[in-house]
Amino acid sequence: MRVIECTDLTKTYLRKNVLDKLSFSIEENKITGLIGRNGVGKTTLLKIIAGFIKETSGQVKVFSERPYNSLNVSINSIFVDDQMSFPPAIPLGEILTVAGNFYPNWDRELAKGLFDYFSFDPKSYHNRLSKGKTSTFNMIIGLASRCPLTIFDEPTTGMDAAVRKDFYRALLKDYIAYPRTIILSSHHLDEIEDLLEDVLLIKDGKKHFQMSISELKEWAIGLKGTTEEVLNFSDGKEILFKEYFGLNTMYAVVKNDFSEPLLNKAHLVGVEILPVQSSDLCVYLTSETKGGIDDVFNKR
Amino acid sequence: MSLTSVNLWETVKKQYFFKLKANIDAFSSLIGIQLLALLFSFGGVGSVGMGGGNFSINIKYYSADLVIGFTLIWAFVTAIVITTKPYRNHDFTFVTNRLSSSLSNILYLLTASIVGSITAILAGNLLKILAHILLDDQIYSFNTGLQELVMGIGVTILYVFFVTSIGYFIGTLVQESKLFIILIPVLFFGILFLEASMQKEPFLINVFKFYGMESTLFLFIIKVIVTVAVFFTAAISILNRMEVRR
Repeated sequence: MRVIECTDLTKTYLRKNVLDKLSFSIEENKITGLIGRNGVGKTTLLKIIAGFIKETSGQVKVFSERPYNSLNVSINSIFVDDQMSFPPAIPLGEILTVAGNFYPNWDRELAKGLFDYFSFDPKSYHNRLSKGKTSTFNMIIGLASRCPLTIFDEPTTGMDAAVRKDFYRALLKDYIAYPRTIILSSHHLDEIEDLLEDVLLIKDGKKHFQMSISELKEWAIGLKGTTEEVLNFSDGKEILFKEYFGLNTMYAVVKNDFSEPLLNKAHLVGVEILPVQSSDLCVYLTSETKGGIDDVFNKR
Repeated sequence: MSLTSVNLWETVKKQYFFKLKANIDAFSSLIGIQLLALLFSFGGVGSVGMGGGNFSINIKYYSADLVIGFTLIWAFVTAIVITTKPYRNHDFTFVTNRLSSSLSNILYLLTASIVGSITAILAGNLLKILAHILLDDQIYSFNTGLQELVMGIGVTILYVFFVTSIGYFIGTLVQESKLFIILIPVLFFGILFLEASMQKEPFLINVFKFYGMESTLFLFIIKVIVTVAVFFTAAISILNRMEVRR
């Protein structure tokens, strides 16, 4: 079953297209990573899916319904980010009870367990929490609500490394016990790639690609060797990223469609074949200009 | 994971109880405001004095009028406050749509009106008792009795709820565009002064007479209910189009 279906989804703010004819679908019970640079419309997309904001044109269906103003989408989904707001008059312990009243699949024991593990004070208030603690608390709400569609928009903002690790582990454990559709948007692809099944990469408000994480890991390779040989091998291919070392050594990332003999030949002439980290690859694929930050300084 | 379907009224009910808990601060401010009004009324809300050769009479009126006035202002502000962004965002943390959010707000405002009116009317009695205990004067009480009390509370509820509907509507307009923060006072006072300078009977006086001077209870109830319905419906239809947390 398809949980989310978008066709030609467009969102315009002040005549600027934040999302531009975006089409994709997300299958049930998969963990999908939503990857993209800052400001490409990840949050906008997630907020449309959650029914917070309206699409300008195109179609979006969540559980076969338009999410805007849909109660069924609202009860079956939850949107977690660091901006989640809770009434300042209700203490944290009671917020868990309130959330339990609203969400039918709410797991009280899990909520209480995580709440105690991260040593929250039930009598404290949400607006007095630190940045990392706020994210941690919101994550607890997101996990314990057990919504068939759970959306985490940069859930780890402000969390320290230990809490992030705990969060990923908790997410995976709970997902295995109660499979559901999870969308995870994050800048730390290297941290979450072990969790993900699929990756949806967005660039300039458009879908750049959607593939499984294992495909992504083999999608590109890095060539490292003398500039001449590397350029020779990557001839006719789009170089996604290049970097120079010393006088005559070059590293280039290209799409992996080399045949086996060709790779062997490369090896013989001294060009190293290196795997490309998927997080690095995503950065290369979504960069605005070829090259890197070095170029800014080299031109001066 | 299996999907849950839900109906509107169930959600509204849950949100209503959630809001009573979340907006409990409004009720503590109600108590503060009514106590303040009581303090102001303690000197009497009006007085008449007369005297002859070797006697003088001074009549002071003690009533809950000021408390009701303060309660109306409180209700107006409370209604505006719950249309603001943080309050709408609280709803969207949990299960809601825009209609259920507004409906539960209206129920909350109705509850606030009922609580505010009952305490305001009872504050009038408290005032008389306090005056009796603390002041050495003779207290004469009229218009008392259960029927008077019930009618007083009922009519006050209608007035307070009426004011909340105006507040909710104005609050919604302001959420739609901040321009209304300037526009509404300008229109309000502008019309007042313009018509006064044109030597016409001001329109707002007529409005006040229409609602405030109605002596038939039944007609008054009809007038208020229809107006309240119009304001809330307008507010709901505006809020229905409004995006949250953008």
